[in-house]
Amino acid sequence: MSSFGSVPVKILYALLSIFIVMNIGLLLQGVTRKIYARVSKRIGIRFYQPYIDLVKNYFLRDLVSHGVMFYLGPIFRLTSGVGMILFIPLIYGSPVFSNFSFSGDAVLVLYFMFFGTLGMALGSGESGQPYSAIGVARGLAQVTAAEIPLILSFLAVFIQYQTLSISTIVGAQQGGFMHWTMITNPLATATALLAFLGSMMRSPFDVVLAPQEIPIGPPTEYHGAFLGILQTNRAIFPIAKTILYVNLFFGGAGNWFEFIIKAFLLYMWSVVVGTVFPRYRVDHSIRWFLKVPLALGLLSIIFLQIG
Amino acid sequence: MVDQLFFNPIYIIGIGLAAAFFLGFFHRGTLAPRIIMVAVTAAFTIISLAWMQAFLLQGQTAEHGQAAAQVFTAGFQPPFSINLRMGAEEAFLTLLINISGLLGGIYLLDTLKKMGSHAVSVFIILIMGMNGIIMTRDIFNLFVFMEIVSIAVAGLIVLQKETNSLAAGFKYMIAAGIISVFLLLGIILAYAVGGSLNIDFLTAADLPGAKAGMIALFFLVIALLLELKPFPANGWALDVYDAAPAGVSAILAAAGSAAAYYALVKILPLGSSSHYTLVAAAGAVTFLGSNLLGLKQHRGRRLLGYSSVGQVGLLLIILGFSEVLGAQRDYIAAGIILSHSLAKAILFWLAGMLKQDGLEAWAALRKKPILLILFGSAVFALVGFPPFPSFFAKWELILLLNGGRFYLWSAVILGASFLEAVYLFRWFGYALKMDNEKLAEPEAPLFRLLPPIVFGILLYGAGWYMGSILEGFANFSYIPLAFILFLALIDRLPAWIKNTVSIAGVTFYIIDLYPRLEGDLLRLIFAGIFLIGAVLTLLSGYYYKGRRAGFYPLALTMFAGLAVLIEAANLLEFFYGWELMTIGSYFLLIRGKKSMPHGYSYMLFSVGGSFAMLFGFSLAAAGAGSIAMSALTGVTVLPMLAYSLMLVGFLTKTASVGLHIWLPGAHGEAVADIHFMASAILLKAGVFGLITVLLGMGAEASYTGPILFVLGWIGALSALLGNISASFQESAKRLLAWSSIGQLGYIVFGLATMSHLGWLIAISYSVTHFLYKGILFLVIGGIALKLGTPYMYKMGGLIKRMPFSFLAVLIAIITLSGVPPLVGFAAKWITYNLIISEGIYYQGFIVLISGIVAFLYLFRMIYTMFLGQLKDNLRTVREINIWFLIPVYLLLAAIMVLSFFPNMLLRPVGEMLSGYFPDGAIAWTGTLGTTRLGYYDGGAIMYVIGGIFVAALLFFFSLRKRTQQVKQFNIFYSGEAPSRPELSHFSYNFFAHYQKAIGVLTLPLVTNFWNWLSGILHGTADFFRRIYTGNGQTYAYHLVLYIVVVFFLQRGGM
Repeated sequence: MSSFGSVPVKILYALLSIFIVMNIGLLLQGVTRKIYARVSKRIGIRFYQPYIDLVKNYFLRDLVSHGVMFYLGPIFRLTSGVGMILFIPLIYGSPVFSNFSFSGDAVLVLYFMFFGTLGMALGSGESGQPYSAIGVARGLAQVTAAEIPLILSFLAVFIQYQTLSISTIVGAQQGGFMHWTMITNPLATATALLAFLGSMMRSPFDVVLAPQEIPIGPPTEYHGAFLGILQTNRAIFPIAKTILYVNLFFGGAGNWFEFIIKAFLLYMWSVVVGTVFPRYRVDHSIRWFLKVPLALGLLSIIFLQIG
Repeated sequence: MVDQLFFNPIYIIGIGLAAAFFLGFFHRGTLAPRIIMVAVTAAFTIISLAWMQAFLLQGQTAEHGQAAAQVFTAGFQPPFSINLRMGAEEAFLTLLINISGLLGGIYLLDTLKKMGSHAVSVFIILIMGMNGIIMTRDIFNLFVFMEIVSIAVAGLIVLQKETNSLAAGFKYMIAAGIISVFLLLGIILAYAVGGSLNIDFLTAADLPGAKAGMIALFFLVIALLLELKPFPANGWALDVYDAAPAGVSAILAAAGSAAAYYALVKILPLGSSSHYTLVAAAGAVTFLGSNLLGLKQHRGRRLLGYSSVGQVGLLLIILGFSEVLGAQRDYIAAGIILSHSLAKAILFWLAGMLKQDGLEAWAALRKKPILLILFGSAVFALVGFPPFPSFFAKWELILLLNGGRFYLWSAVILGASFLEAVYLFRWFGYALKMDNEKLAEPEAPLFRLLPPIVFGILLYGAGWYMGSILEGFANFSYIPLAFILFLALIDRLPAWIKNTVSIAGVTFYIIDLYPRLEGDLLRLIFAGIFLIGAVLTLLSGYYYKGRRAGFYPLALTMFAGLAVLIEAANLLEFFYGWELMTIGSYFLLIRGKKSMPHGYSYMLFSVGGSFAMLFGFSLAAAGAGSIAMSALTGVTVLPMLAYSLMLVGFLTKTASVGLHIWLPGAHGEAVADIHFMASAILLKAGVFGLITVLLGMGAEASYTGPILFVLGWIGALSALLGNISASFQESAKRLLAWSSIGQLGYIVFGLATMSHLGWLIAISYSVTHFLYKGILFLVIGGIALKLGTPYMYKMGGLIKRMPFSFLAVLIAIITLSGVPPLVGFAAKWITYNLIISEGIYYQGFIVLISGIVAFLYLFRMIYTMFLGQLKDNLRTVREINIWFLIPVYLLLAAIMVLSFFPNMLLRPVGEMLSGYFPDGAIAWTGTLGTTRLGYYDGGAIMYVIGGIFVAALLFFFSLRKRTQQVKQFNIFYSGEAPSRPELSHFSYNFFAHYQKAIGVLTLPLVTNFWNWLSGILHGTADFFRRIYTGNGQTYAYHLVLYIVVVFFLQRGGM
């Protein structure tokens, strides 16, 4: 780490990382919406539409605020997305694109995810909008179930490699795809892929936002630059989650090209499922996670123990 | 030496007979007979006192110094005369009888006036007869005195001239007649075989050697046994307790049982060991049976009868185990007799002051607080709490019984004591909390008030004395208790003065304690939680305007108990502190308006837990041969049972799954600052206990595996179920209460791993839970107090009115949830390390999921209270009391410091733990902690996250938007403006969908189990209660049947 220089340099590389990731995220969003449209036989938006939306929202002149916590909610959210990116080593072997991952290991990343959720939940709560609260209540309930396969699959990886450090886990998977966790521990990877669906806010697990049903859930009252911040985060955050999975299960990324390909493919997994399946109700999705994903997760750990 | 000229014991007989005779000359209704009665009983008392002080002071122990005096009537030696003996035991018991007589006589002054001068002479004869039973060494003379007492009792009952007392008196005479027949038969046969009536001669004569001697002994023992009212042949006695004037019942319970007990003590050495066994068995049946039947009693005086019979049963067990108990038998018996006699007399006297006899009617005692204090003292003395004599007696008894491997017997004793606690504390709860508006004030003129007050003082004094002569407790420091007494004495002053005095007292104690604990980090941490916690709660106590009667002595009792735990030099002191803490916390928890059932269940679990603990301690001591704290290390006698029982005892206080049902109610109904004490501080006592036991147990022995396995699951399931249940609560206080169960589950889980990281989690959780829960309890409690409701759906939008409270709660819940960057994350990180390095995947997985579930209730709480829509009736509400905010922000500061420098806590604790668990320690470089598996830099995280947050905020400011604050109802609402906040504040049944999905996990199975158990006990009690038909003939039949059955059992045994 000392080789990689002083604080200002670090900050510059951090900004660069965020910039790259944000662009990947925005493009993926555009492509995804295009795919959704085509599946339902519409022409759909232009793939760069998210850029236009973002710029438009940032340049809206006025803001309506419901209070301090409401005002800070999106800031919390963005902090969480950016922090995730900076705490995960993005490119294997590259000290500069490992950013601030020296602060903590995978556990830090796992728990820092909630920082933004919590801040956003509190911010939208202050608006007094009942739909926001309903959305949060749904989301929290669902996440307790979606975390079951997530924790189990992550535990399986940690147990398999006997480390919590993300870069060590990536290091152990080098030397061809036969070394990836996907191959060495398929049960854990399968569990993780199911958990991944639960965390990507897409159908069938999108009851939190539930468009049309509870307007758009937690962000209902946010608009203008507030929404701009949230959209920025919505570009960054899924990529952060995706790259975490790529690191743990799919051998990580040795360069930005590999990064983009792997992120794209994994991202598309949630998109494909999302276009095909309709929305679950909360109690349904909770029960769903308590069946196959739980069983798979437990099996993956049992196999590690006896193997 | 005692001057035989002035204090000759025979004067008691002489004066008594003479006075009773001459009283016949006085007219009805004059004052003189009663003056004479008081003078006579006072004279008895002085004689006994003179002997007692001679035995006590001159040699400190009874065996040395004053020798037992023998008095011979008419100058002949036995067997040609009757002799009386006045030894230490006789002096003690006659003193007890005569003081009861003196005070009981004073209490009965106006009753005796109504009954006339005959009753006064009967009363004097009664007391004289009891003295005679104690002192005589001649069995026929014993019979005579017993007849005198029987007739006197019957007389006092019958002279009341009421129908039911006439019936009771008649039944009593029938029973006494049957008993006399057998006693007399026994005496005749004994004389035929032994050639003497003198006990000492008969001892030499070896009665068991001859067949006729055996039969004589059987008759003697069974008659005296029946005199002690053994269950189930005791219906007649219960009627007597019920029907006699309260003052007479008091004397019967206090003095009569002692006299009858001593008669048996004298006769039993004539027999063989089989007679001792018989007595012990009869005692055990009585103790268990009558306490079981007491469960279904609804009337106070009859219940006292059951309890008295039960206590005598306990005395019989002690007597039966004379050989095992050895030199300590008399100490134990004295402790039980003192507690029983003094407490029972107090209770009967109180019963006499009340107009109604139903248990609920005892709430009338609250109208005169001194009576309530006396009632409480008596109840705690009967159950065996410190500082009363029975505490020490029970300790010694169980220790010696288990030392002699009589496990079943001690289990029976503890089980029966528990049953007694069940009905006594239910009753006491009624007195504390039942509505008493319609009840008449107790009738307590000075002459009736004086006797129970004197006995109350004696009860405490006796407790102190019994402790001071017990090895292992002689060095106990009574200074904190003296301070509490002082607080009780100044209870009339306003709360803020008492508060200041209390804070000064605790602070002084901390300063005094610190040097003694320096270097012992474990104790230091828990002392900090207990005592700094005490200062903080007391600080918040300034909010209270008014007197806050009784609060300070009890709060300080709890803290004194906690301090004793820290400093305990041996198991006895530890147990003493534990029980002291239980008393204090019981009274604090039951202060809430609706707390009666919850305080009660808290007490039952506490008593059950402490009995389990006592059993465990006694096994430990039996193996180690000492009661030093080191006895907990490597227990050799039944180690698995011993450790399990101790752990169960402590788990009742940490409210772990299975033993948790008392907590939500007890904590949920407690007042703000008490809630803080109860949860953030008190629960840690259980943790401290677990740590103490587990350090002794270690993890090497083969039996530790299953124990730790179960303990780990208990912890993990407590965490999960506590957190899920918390999510479904509507009351913020109950939510926090369930949350405590969950948090304590993490700690128990950590401890059960018996590893470096596990213990690090447990101890750091103990500290951080204290910090963030302290904040939550004070703020939420303060809000509930301010708004008058703990229900969250009645709140909403309070952030606008209480920003400081909101900020504090926000920091606290971030810490609790374990989200970086605050210190709570450290615990989550260590948990992951622990799970993987120790390989405890399944329990660990449950614990991790529980952590996620915690988000549910945390968000629900902060959202429904502070966010959402502000209600109309709360628009002018102000910030909570400043005295709540001051300790809150002190705690907050501590959290922030620990968040920047987690190593300040984790590093020293880790170094300390390395002494016990060297493997797996965290290596620290500044704020960077590294384990074999991963790393975590609290400081760096704080700076990075802070930096990103500030950068994002600056970026947002740089957009220079015009921001407009809008009103509450200005939200997207289908084009409408909601008219009432209630309509758009989403709060009630917040997680309905969650309940639908997994609510099955929160079915109250454990509550149902305990209810089922209690139903069985009560049903059994109700079934067996039917043997008491109230019919004199049936009772006579019971007596004969009892004799026959015992005879055959005895024969079978021989």
